[in-house]
Amino acid sequence: MIERRYDEEYKKIAEYYNKSGGDASKFLRKDIVSVIISGNEVIGRNTVDGVDLKVEKIKNGIEMWLDIADNVVVENPVHLCTGYLKPEGTQEVLIHVKAGKQSKVSFLSHCVFPNGKKFTHRMISDSVLEEGAEIRYEDVHYHSEDGGVTVEAIYNAKLEKNARYDNSFHLTKTRVGKMKVEMKVDLGERASANIETKVYEKSDDSLNVLEELNLNGEGSSGIAKTTVFATENSEVNIVNRAFGNAPYSRGHIECNEIVKGNGVKVGTVPELYVKNEKAELTHEASIGRVNIKQLETLMAKGLTEEEATQLIVRGMLK
Amino acid sequence: MIELENITLIRDKNVILEELSAEFDKDKVYAVLGNNGVGKSSLAYIIMGLEDYRNYKGTIKFNGKSIDNKDTYERAKLGITLGWQEPARYDGLTTREYLNLGGKINASQKKLKKTLEIVGLSEHYLDRPVDGSLSGGERKRIELASAILLKPKVVILDEPDSGIDLMSTDMIERVLNHLKNSGTTVILITHREEISYMADEAYLMCGGKIIAEGQVDEIVSFYRDMCDSCSHINEPNKGGELNK
Repeated sequence: MIERRYDEEYKKIAEYYNKSGGDASKFLRKDIVSVIISGNEVIGRNTVDGVDLKVEKIKNGIEMWLDIADNVVVENPVHLCTGYLKPEGTQEVLIHVKAGKQSKVSFLSHCVFPNGKKFTHRMISDSVLEEGAEIRYEDVHYHSEDGGVTVEAIYNAKLEKNARYDNSFHLTKTRVGKMKVEMKVDLGERASANIETKVYEKSDDSLNVLEELNLNGEGSSGIAKTTVFATENSEVNIVNRAFGNAPYSRGHIECNEIVKGNGVKVGTVPELYVKNEKAELTHEASIGRVNIKQLETLMAKGLTEEEATQLIVRGMLK
Repeated sequence: MIELENITLIRDKNVILEELSAEFDKDKVYAVLGNNGVGKSSLAYIIMGLEDYRNYKGTIKFNGKSIDNKDTYERAKLGITLGWQEPARYDGLTTREYLNLGGKINASQKKLKKTLEIVGLSEHYLDRPVDGSLSGGERKRIELASAILLKPKVVILDEPDSGIDLMSTDMIERVLNHLKNSGTTVILITHREEISYMADEAYLMCGGKIIAEGQVDEIVSFYRDMCDSCSHINEPNKGGELNK
């Protein structure tokens, strides 16, 4: 339910939410958990049985708690929409998620800052997944084309035995501005995680990514993957890190940075640390132009180099 | 349609192709037969003008005009294309997007389905990604489907049967017939005799040279007798009597 005084604001946010790939019609459904934030206000919210939702206003933003009860399977994705329509300001969003034993929930989070010229958004998400719980989190950002948006997106997740956590961050449709993405996951016994960041940088965008897997439980496994298409004068630094701390833990980190433009500055640092002789960690990285064979295959079908690159990148960032 | 005149390609001081001349006429299927490593794929790549294969000596003509200065995509625009021996894989792109070249071609569902049928795949493949989840054989079939959809004037098929089970040679024949009936000249690169028999004429390569050309039966017979058991691969001058 949207409060009447926020009708106009909601319409604008919904418009950009749809542009970012979301479906704003879902916000108004009673069977879908949703939270809509505009600036420092919650302008709409809904929850369903088994999901306890609490929201509080804090200085410059919102703090929310989502508790999913044991054994609850939330059928429809929880929709989180964070918008800020003014060109200047600061917004902080703190999210605490507790997924009870054997519960299952997915999140579709869209952050839209279409007018930001001197705007900072900071989001910290802390998730606890109890035994056998599953969380899938998809975070899609839509920033202004001005490049004046600064974003910090920090995700921390603690997984107990047999829990599963997937987190995917996407910013591929608009300018990035200045951004830091940090994902850290602690995995317990036989827990598994798949974390991924996909970003398309333009102009003088700047990006720092840290993805970290702490494989603390026996038989735990995880994949951390970053894909960035850096163009023009953009800058990107990526650290993919994994700790193999337990027997039979397995981790894989992967970084693909595709570069186009002479002003681009890109770097990647893979870090693997093993503290147990039965742990197994691998990494894979590529940095530079688009894979020549992929490129020439499409050029041999009549695409120019530019068209072929766009198609390849479109697939990679999908 | 395509003429190669005295083509020499040297890479890292190694002679890959040497004074090679050949002609490929309209509406015909040509086999280019030879053992592994004799320069067959390099021949395909210089015709296509790939980045590392453009620094050759000699001339390649298409319909009487030199294409030596043309980029890969410009050659493709003229109607020349290549079906790769090991096709590239693409994360995130579906078969439909790949076949339609991201919207450059707009083949209907019916057309896509029919094309996939020719290569022995169902329409369910249209929504599958052309990434590592496909087997080499499946990916190869999609590459052949792509060659059909492009309706090229000339297609070079580099080892079209590699990665595909032996029982599927009838599929390769179906693809070749379809291309031929559509007015496409096919250059069929292979080291297998049974695939060569699908061609109208054949060239035999050794050591970066064409060492024989003519009727498929004769060339295959020569290849079987002289090349299969050859102990001096890529040294054509030490071979038997050549019919060129």
